[in-house]
Amino acid sequence: MKEGFRQAMAWLHTWAGLLFGWLLFAIFLTGTLAYFKDEISHWMQPEIPARSVSAETSLTLAQNYLQQHAAGASRWLIDLPDARDPGLTVRWQQAPANPGERGRFEAKTLDAQTGAEVQGRDSMGGEFFYRFHFQLQMPYPWGRWLSTIAAMVMFVALITGIITHKKIFKDFFTFRPRKGQRSWLDGHNAVGVLVLPFHLMITYSSLVIFMSMVMPASIVASYGSDVRKFYDEVFPASKTPERADVAAPLAAMAPLLNKASEQWSGGHTARLSVSNPGDANATVVLSRAGDRVVHDFGRAVTFNGVSGQMLGSTPEQPLAMAVGGAFYGLHMGHFAGSVLRWLYFICGLAGTAMIGTGLVIWLGKRQLKHAKSGVMPFELRLVEVLNIASMAGLVSAVAVFFLANRLLPVALAERADWEVNAFFMAWGLSVLHAMLRPGHKAWVEQLVFGAALFVAVPLINALTTPWNLGVALMQGDWALAGFDLTCLATGLFLAWAAWKMQRAGNTVSVKKPRRETPRPITLEQGV
Amino acid sequence: MLLALLLTYAGFTALCLSMPRHHDELLSRKPSTRRRQGLKLAGWFLLGLSLWAAVSANGWSFGLVDWFAVLMLSALALVLLLPYRPRLALALAGVSLLASPVAAWAQC
Repeated sequence: MKEGFRQAMAWLHTWAGLLFGWLLFAIFLTGTLAYFKDEISHWMQPEIPARSVSAETSLTLAQNYLQQHAAGASRWLIDLPDARDPGLTVRWQQAPANPGERGRFEAKTLDAQTGAEVQGRDSMGGEFFYRFHFQLQMPYPWGRWLSTIAAMVMFVALITGIITHKKIFKDFFTFRPRKGQRSWLDGHNAVGVLVLPFHLMITYSSLVIFMSMVMPASIVASYGSDVRKFYDEVFPASKTPERADVAAPLAAMAPLLNKASEQWSGGHTARLSVSNPGDANATVVLSRAGDRVVHDFGRAVTFNGVSGQMLGSTPEQPLAMAVGGAFYGLHMGHFAGSVLRWLYFICGLAGTAMIGTGLVIWLGKRQLKHAKSGVMPFELRLVEVLNIASMAGLVSAVAVFFLANRLLPVALAERADWEVNAFFMAWGLSVLHAMLRPGHKAWVEQLVFGAALFVAVPLINALTTPWNLGVALMQGDWALAGFDLTCLATGLFLAWAAWKMQRAGNTVSVKKPRRETPRPITLEQGV
Repeated sequence: MLLALLLTYAGFTALCLSMPRHHDELLSRKPSTRRRQGLKLAGWFLLGLSLWAAVSANGWSFGLVDWFAVLMLSALALVLLLPYRPRLALALAGVSLLASPVAAWAQC
């Protein structure tokens, strides 16, 4: 390969990686957390107990509840609990007062075992990380556009990174710690190359998921301005039947679960939607859970609500959609059991680490030139502040989000919003702190702070709620226990990182000249 | 998934040892050409076998995902272990090989 070409690719890798590195770090970290979305939500709403009851039992409870409380509604929606999400959620839509209007929705969460209403504290839970990782807390199209662009840049950075890396196979097993810049580059290459299948899959699939937003040309060419029609054809919504206005009792829905499962060769039902309950024209639509690698968009079976007879089922999706479904399924990992889910999580962390090490390398290389003079140019100082706030600051903000969930009063108005506000306030403060303190000290202090916050999470949890680690372990609630233990492990890891950072700084500080505020040199111990 | 993990880890260790630099670091001598080729062959064979193990345990779609997951994880674990605990890294590969028939028996 021509050296000039490789240099051009290295240039692109360096600058694309720098400009989008901070954003990509946040997207990767929150996206990784989103693999445990339901577990995080469970921890953040511990009032909703985890039960191991059969889907039939829960469904019967839900049906009884809705028949008592929402008999006149035009539509019921029932979300069945599963191993990860313990809540049995029922929602119903009131028949609209005037025809043509949309009826009001009401939602309740039920205990899956007793059928009693349970009130979880107001919180976005894991949904916050999931939403943030592609909407970036921005108004509707902008956040998605920005994350789409970030995904493209990530793809470019991966490809250029592969081209730039001269010795992929020769250095495949190489990691040399305690060698300053060399170690950071080794680490960057190792997590990049060894977890490359995941990086390529996650980045490419995100582009596939965003495709209809980014490249609508193919849709616009065939459907013109009537884009709605495209979606109607691709996702045939089950049509709502007209009311017969003849009262007829709804059949028991629990046996339908088995019938649907037969249609899906063993697949499970995640959601039931009942139209016109209590009417002669009632229908029940069962939607399949995402329990396969190839995600099936809108797979459903429809039954007559009175006789229980099957009315129809959506056909197998065409191949092109199955390919899209495979990328969607792989990206989301809904099908993953607990072991594979942890592996997904580790891969996500590896991706986050790859981006983080890349940012550190960019700065470290350029700081070397200014190490002697001791004065750092403005642009390097800017990168340093952004590095600190986007990495150490973000990690601390995540811990603040969890702590806010336990410390904010349960009755606080707009509580869920305040948890999110706490997250962004903590993140903002970390920028301020990084600006005010010299680089190396800021790193150490923010890492120590993050470590303390994460260790505090299980402690505060034990002090403010009855669901402490011991109780969770005794009850065998592994989602709660795992959350506490993971926070503890994260705290220890951050403390270790702070200690390493402190030591790395001390070896350098010997040769640093006295009095300079923006101190460079984070991790070089003399290469 | 366990059998596939054991096989990928042992396979990657064999491939690692087939490279003179790593062989020298881990066992303090350069390997002969014959030995290198043997290790290389064994490594690729074990990786191939692990693909079969993953697919036969969980079908093609889940099996392939599992296989890629353990492939990445075992390589990452090996590379992070090598500089800090080289003896342990090698011992684990030996244990993996010894335990794999048991895991295979449990899987069938």
